[in-house]
Amino acid sequence: MSDHFAAFSFVDRIVEFEAGRRAVGRYDVPSGISAFPSCLIAEAVGQLAAWVSMEHIAFRGRPVAALATETRFHGDVAPGDTLTLAVDIDSCDDDAVAYSGRAEVRGSTVIELIHCLGPMLPVAEFDAPEALAARLELIRGPGAKPGAFRGVPPPRVVRIGGDRGRSASATLNVPESAPFFGDHFPRRPVFPATLLLDSQIGLAMDLAREATHWPAGSKPVPARMTHVKMRSFMPPGATLEMDAELASASAAAATIKLAARLDGKTAATARLDVVAGGKR
Amino acid sequence: MAQVEITKDEIDKVYPTVAATVADALGCEEDEVTPQASLIEDLNAESIDFLDIVFRLERAFKIKIPRGKIVENARGSLTEAEFEQNGIVTEPGFKQLRAYLSEVPPERFKTPTKVKDIPRLFTVETFCKLVVLAQRQQAAA
Repeated sequence: MSDHFAAFSFVDRIVEFEAGRRAVGRYDVPSGISAFPSCLIAEAVGQLAAWVSMEHIAFRGRPVAALATETRFHGDVAPGDTLTLAVDIDSCDDDAVAYSGRAEVRGSTVIELIHCLGPMLPVAEFDAPEALAARLELIRGPGAKPGAFRGVPPPRVVRIGGDRGRSASATLNVPESAPFFGDHFPRRPVFPATLLLDSQIGLAMDLAREATHWPAGSKPVPARMTHVKMRSFMPPGATLEMDAELASASAAAATIKLAARLDGKTAATARLDVVAGGKR
Repeated sequence: MAQVEITKDEIDKVYPTVAATVADALGCEEDEVTPQASLIEDLNAESIDFLDIVFRLERAFKIKIPRGKIVENARGSLTEAEFEQNGIVTEPGFKQLRAYLSEVPPERFKTPTKVKDIPRLFTVETFCKLVVLAQRQQAAA
């Protein structure tokens, strides 16, 4: 089976479509996978916005992940769940798309993306415009056959240092090959920004758990991510250095600054707000 | 577009919000941000930061700033061909650029000036002017 529109595609059907303005879509999370992390839910919302924006500019350009002002995490998604995705486009032209969006499961919001911006790059650099147009016709019509996603390989993250409870550093080795590269993107494989963010959140949560200020009996949980800024593409085989630093902490909350570097240059930055919740 | 006069009062009115926006976007302290600070040379901004700052300013001031508008504004009434040739700013273009970016210290202008290097000249005050122009255009619409 081809990986195109399968290995990293998270919109099965579009059930409402207002050209250049808004859309509602669905995605059936395959029941056979082990997990569907929050970053992939965000990816699904972003992909719906990408469909609306690419159609609006006749597939001349495709948006790439760049800025996400705020992402609020409200709940988890389990394999077998059906996501209802919704996006509202604030502006869209050949330069960029600005949008907000959300995902729900059984009527409850699981994630909100607020004020995101994706610059448009020439679509032909990444994919065949006619293949994208045909795919949109399919998902706006009968819908794609669900269940194509088979999960992503676990990230190869190695802790390399830090100051326990204050900072943490790790390397992330982007695989040389993986099914998702066949979908993201067929003509120019790029490590998905959302998978980097997932690894960064993992490092930040390790750091948060090492911090000692949490109320007895509680455990830290991610509440929102802000200031997400992707500065460069990450090619297959790249080694990223990730840093997480406790920027502020109170009895029941903490903010962690995140950065990833590629070849010594900052490739991505973000902040994660963590709150006390649940049982340790 | 003819050269537009922007008063100090207009700049002062928007400056605090512009400075706070720039500091938040670049993750630097607000006291590092001054009206004369060059975004690239002094505050280490990259092209994605320009996009971020404009995106944030649009929301902070409830205005629309078409991307690429600063360089377009800098051309003034000159056509693209009058303003630049093969990526190099022409003599009339250079004169226009100096007039448009009047807030930029003269020693920062280099000759010849490459069009791609124009953003290196932009200061925090340049973004204040952009906001004031967008506010005026919105009020006139």
